[in-house]
Amino acid sequence: MWENRCKVAVSGVGFSKVSRTADVPLAVHALTAVKEAVADSGLAMSDIDGLATYPELPATGHAEVDGISVVSVNCMMAMLKLPDLAWHIQVGTVNIGGAVQQAVNALLAGMCNYAVVWRAMHNPRGTYQNLPSGMAAGATQFTAPYGFGGPGQGMAVAYTRWLERHNQNREKMATLAVTQRRHTQHNPHAYFYGTELSREDYLASRMVAYPFCLFDCDIPVQGAVAIVLTTADRACDLKPTPAYLAGYGQRLHFEVAGRIGSLADYMEGGRSSAKLTWERSGFGPKDVDVAQIYDGFSASVIYGLESYGFCGEGEALDFIQDGRIELDGELPLNTFGGSLGTGRIHGLWHIIEGALQASGRAGSRQVKDANVSFVGASAPIVTGTTFIFVREPY
Amino acid sequence: MSDWSKVTRPIPVPNEWTKPFWDAAKRGIVELQRCQSCGHFQHPPYATCTRCVATDLRFEPVRGIGTIYAYTIMYHTGDKRFAAAVPYASIIVELDDAPGALMAGNLLDAEYTEAKVGRRVEIVFEKLNDDVTLPQFRLASAE
Ligand SMILES: [Zn+2]
Repeated sequence: MWENRCKVAVSGVGFSKVSRTADVPLAVHALTAVKEAVADSGLAMSDIDGLATYPELPATGHAEVDGISVVSVNCMMAMLKLPDLAWHIQVGTVNIGGAVQQAVNALLAGMCNYAVVWRAMHNPRGTYQNLPSGMAAGATQFTAPYGFGGPGQGMAVAYTRWLERHNQNREKMATLAVTQRRHTQHNPHAYFYGTELSREDYLASRMVAYPFCLFDCDIPVQGAVAIVLTTADRACDLKPTPAYLAGYGQRLHFEVAGRIGSLADYMEGGRSSAKLTWERSGFGPKDVDVAQIYDGFSASVIYGLESYGFCGEGEALDFIQDGRIELDGELPLNTFGGSLGTGRIHGLWHIIEGALQASGRAGSRQVKDANVSFVGASAPIVTGTTFIFVREPY
Repeated sequence: MSDWSKVTRPIPVPNEWTKPFWDAAKRGIVELQRCQSCGHFQHPPYATCTRCVATDLRFEPVRGIGTIYAYTIMYHTGDKRFAAAVPYASIIVELDDAPGALMAGNLLDAEYTEAKVGRRVEIVFEKLNDDVTLPQFRLASAE
């Protein structure tokens, strides 16, 4: 087991408004979320001495403008003017889960006492995957000439392989979309709060890239979320019940850029990340009371459930049936609605929900007696990170 | 059947690693990068062998026959250049001579509904301009 098990905790969390259009600059969303997270902790902004983020826009062909389409540490510091900033970082390879893990490491090393991590997501005007050039250079020379543009198609090809190899039916995915949308109705911050989705809606919706229909894809939005992390002893003195970090892992399986469609790459990535998390935390899949698994595209949940070890290969679409992923089911899943419910903010919202469930602060969507709370914070293939939060720090 | 005549494909830009692949395609041959140490074929080309990390890699011809490993049917018209062909099949193919080396392509000369994992396909070449010829796939004739 990890010697630093339960020595760091998530304290406060914060949310901006989530909308389709950028009516205020992204920096304002990020600032709102950070202020709310700090206030939720009961801290003063001047207590914050660590900052971390993953400033990235997953859309193609749009300029990255700090404060408008991304919010860097520099941009945040210019707004906050923290008097005692002692540590900061922007990660490049492990998405927002990596920023959280770096903040954990900094706290354990004594580099800072109260770190804030935010993820701010921009929704650009016009086409999201805006492929401006007539030329396909680099890794895209082997994919773009055939119509492979955004990440959705890359994941769709692995999904057809999974479906046909395991003799499965994409209509079973309706259960995931409908259940998560029902969970969304308990999350007032979510984009689809107040909008229901029926099985019929899912089955009748238009195809985007088979096997993905519209409701298999998270909707691009503008918004930000944030968390405050601190050491366990400091967290105990703060207002919210802490969610203790029992362990974390990163994906260790790497493949060559431009190679797409390999189902094995998703599975190996997820297995390697989860293995570290199980070993460090001392828990296994059977111990988990509630799970958040990244769902930017629905099939990511399949790869997660199987590669993390919650069910066998080829079983995930059967596993999610019969009420198992409901709030009172055997494995309540994406209880905040997932990215399919909140809109595309990437994995920090999954981490936030994992922490809220562990600390008993999830309101009307709280899973009863949730102690062991698992998070897979991004698609296992590229940037996979996994976490376990617990209520009891033993 | 998809009408590809109105589609303007992005033109591949070969670099020092990938030029032999595109030069061969222009001659109507598929050549993939092969490790001279362990014999492993790989695609896309890379700096080292992805199996044994040897650095002695050469391009060698392979037979243009293989199996659909995975596919997607494109319905989205966000990329206007491809809108005229929607719905169309984009496929990932594992060639018989190069297990594990996955090549992308479109399934030409067939209804998109013919794309299935495990179906046999063969290479055809689509000339994009005087410099670049694109490997593509169609259903294999009876073997
Ligand atoms: Zn080798």
